[in-house]
Amino acid sequence: MRIVVAHKWAADPQEAVVGADGAVDWSRARPAVSEYDAVAIAVGRQLADASGAELVGLSVGGPTAAAPLAAKAALARGLDSALIVADPALAEADSAVTAQVLAAAVTELGQVGLVLTGDCSVDRGARLTPAVLAGWLDWVCLAEVSAVRWDPTGLSLERESDGGWQSLTLSPPAVLALAAGAVYPPVPGMKDVLAAARKPIRQLDLGQLGLELIRAPLLLAAAPAPAPDRRGVVIDAMDPALAAAELVARLSHDGLTWEGRP
Amino acid sequence: MPFHLTDEQEIVRASLRQFAETEVKPLAAQLDREHRPPLETIPKLADLGVLGMTIPPPYGGSGTDYLSFVLALEELARVCATTAVMVEVHASLVATSILRFGDQAQKTHYLPELAAGRLIGAFALTEPGAGSDAAALTTRAEADPDGFVLNGQKIFITNGGFAGVFVVLARTSPAVGPKSISAFLVDRDRPGLSVGEPERKMGIRGSSTVSLLFDDLKLPRSALLGQLGQGFAIAMSGLDGGRTGIAAQALGIAQGAYEEAVAYAKQRVQFGQPIARLQAIQWLVADMATEIEAGRCLVYQAADRQDRGLPFSDAAAKAKLFCGPMATRVTHSALQILGGNGYTEAYPVERMCRDARITEIYEGTNEIQRLVIARSALR
Ligand SMILES: Cc1cc2nc3c(=O)[nH]c(=O)nc-3n(C[C@H](O)[C@H](O)[C@H](O)COP(=O)(O)OP(=O)(O)OC[C@H]3O[C@@H](n4cnc5c(N)ncnc54)[C@H](O)[C@@H]3O)c2cc1C
Repeated sequence: MRIVVAHKWAADPQEAVVGADGAVDWSRARPAVSEYDAVAIAVGRQLADASGAELVGLSVGGPTAAAPLAAKAALARGLDSALIVADPALAEADSAVTAQVLAAAVTELGQVGLVLTGDCSVDRGARLTPAVLAGWLDWVCLAEVSAVRWDPTGLSLERESDGGWQSLTLSPPAVLALAAGAVYPPVPGMKDVLAAARKPIRQLDLGQLGLELIRAPLLLAAAPAPAPDRRGVVIDAMDPALAAAELVARLSHDGLTWEGRP
Repeated sequence: MPFHLTDEQEIVRASLRQFAETEVKPLAAQLDREHRPPLETIPKLADLGVLGMTIPPPYGGSGTDYLSFVLALEELARVCATTAVMVEVHASLVATSILRFGDQAQKTHYLPELAAGRLIGAFALTEPGAGSDAAALTTRAEADPDGFVLNGQKIFITNGGFAGVFVVLARTSPAVGPKSISAFLVDRDRPGLSVGEPERKMGIRGSSTVSLLFDDLKLPRSALLGQLGQGFAIAMSGLDGGRTGIAAQALGIAQGAYEEAVAYAKQRVQFGQPIARLQAIQWLVADMATEIEAGRCLVYQAADRQDRGLPFSDAAAKAKLFCGPMATRVTHSALQILGGNGYTEAYPVERMCRDARITEIYEGTNEIQRLVIARSALR
């Protein structure tokens, strides 16, 4: 059996700069394996070790996804091999398009019992890809999975969300999106980094996958940040006690203190 | 020469950045305040494969190239210079000396222990009367029927407070000069070894710096590292690579201080605008960025020469001579940008200023690097 981890080579948001107008400048953000995907790879490694499955990384994207660094950075986190689908047509792929390509690649790989994903992609964060992928594959999909255990009869899962906690059993195949805190992914060790260079990487484009996209990707035109509500009030701080009293009075007036609350 | 890191080196850097941020940085201020070595980090560094980066896989190490090791030191020093020098002395001075000059039994015995962090290494060359003039050392190892008897004193020995094995340089014949010096592997538990109280220092306060006293310490013949009379060559060979490591430590300290200063300048508002908009601050930042980049080129080039088997003593000395003073300048510029806050322990920059200074002194002072460089230039 194969366990696939779908991961994205995406710009690291920690290196993005948010301007005063709320616009995000991604130009200096270098791509990386996101912390969400690192969780999926770490859980995948545990399941593959428990089940004897091969752990395959699958990444879909534009030409940058084809950089050897992209595959090696994911392989160093514990994958056994990598399949990259890189095509200029996928440079701006949205969740629906990405899921369609992932589904075709999973089918091409064959013998896949489980697809794991991170909680969301770091750059878009739509949280749609796992569900649409499961739709294409006609498999079960569960998100916010906080723990997975492999046993010979199937998988036992835990899901935790604001709404509560669930314990489930499941027979593969399935698509599982791991909660961000499911495990603390280990930092790739030096031996893992060197081993990654020797692991197999296979690369395909859309033509080789024999795939026609359902439609052109949906492009994000703008995502304006909500304007901060600034009053521009300056409190004279010459007398700290008076200044503090005025600050408290203004906050109470706006209902921002506990005073008078039930 | 533009410097392109390989994919593996990029991943090593990213891994070490993540490790340093999560495991090393949170301890740095405390280690400094308490003058306490980062013992709790040793098993984590071993698990990550950092302690064995200079040790090949057959001996349990990760066996990366030297440039990767230098990247690791840079990333550690960016957040904690104390942790960086602990690793540098252990993996560079000690492990590489054993790897290059040890016999099979010594390599098999020590290298796996060093890679796993079960033994930490220390390198004992300096004496009260022999600092820059290391060949003037007077510690004696006299031959006796069972091996050698060691007598003498070493000072300023990094990692000495907890190291399990010491590379000790001692005179094996009464003749003066480097040819009468030999190197020995001395286990901590040998009777006759006393370890002094840790020095209280200006910077790298968490680093253990101690004196060693050898009082009729008996060594078997098998403790001799390399040939009789080869000790000075072993020490100089270790220090060549070590200098690139210390240059990387200086580079990392400078980078850390630079990042603190840039972040501060963007958010500190004076005269109605972030101070980053003031030309006086911009020029400081521009100079810091340029100096760091220049230092990085020298450090990576020295490490790369070492990896490619080219002569690198001169390149390592240049990297150290440039990066030590550069780190002092950059950390002080960073402190200036932080103003009064920079002078307080609430920010890491004052520590970085104190930590930077030692990189101009140990493993050869600036003046000694100039001697090495001039000797090569005027040959
Ligand atoms: C924190 C710390 C950790 C250390 N760790 C170790 C360690 O692990 N192992 C070890 O063996 N040693 C270690 N040392 C020792 C260190 O390497 C020496 O301090 C250093 O080499 C300088 O020697 P010195 O202090 O005796 O200074 P000196 O040699 O006395 O030098 C004093 C001054 O004279 C200058 N000078 C000396 N000779 C010349 C010359 N020929 N031309 C021009 N100028 C000259 C020097 O550059 C310096 O400015 C450590 C020192 C410190 C402070």
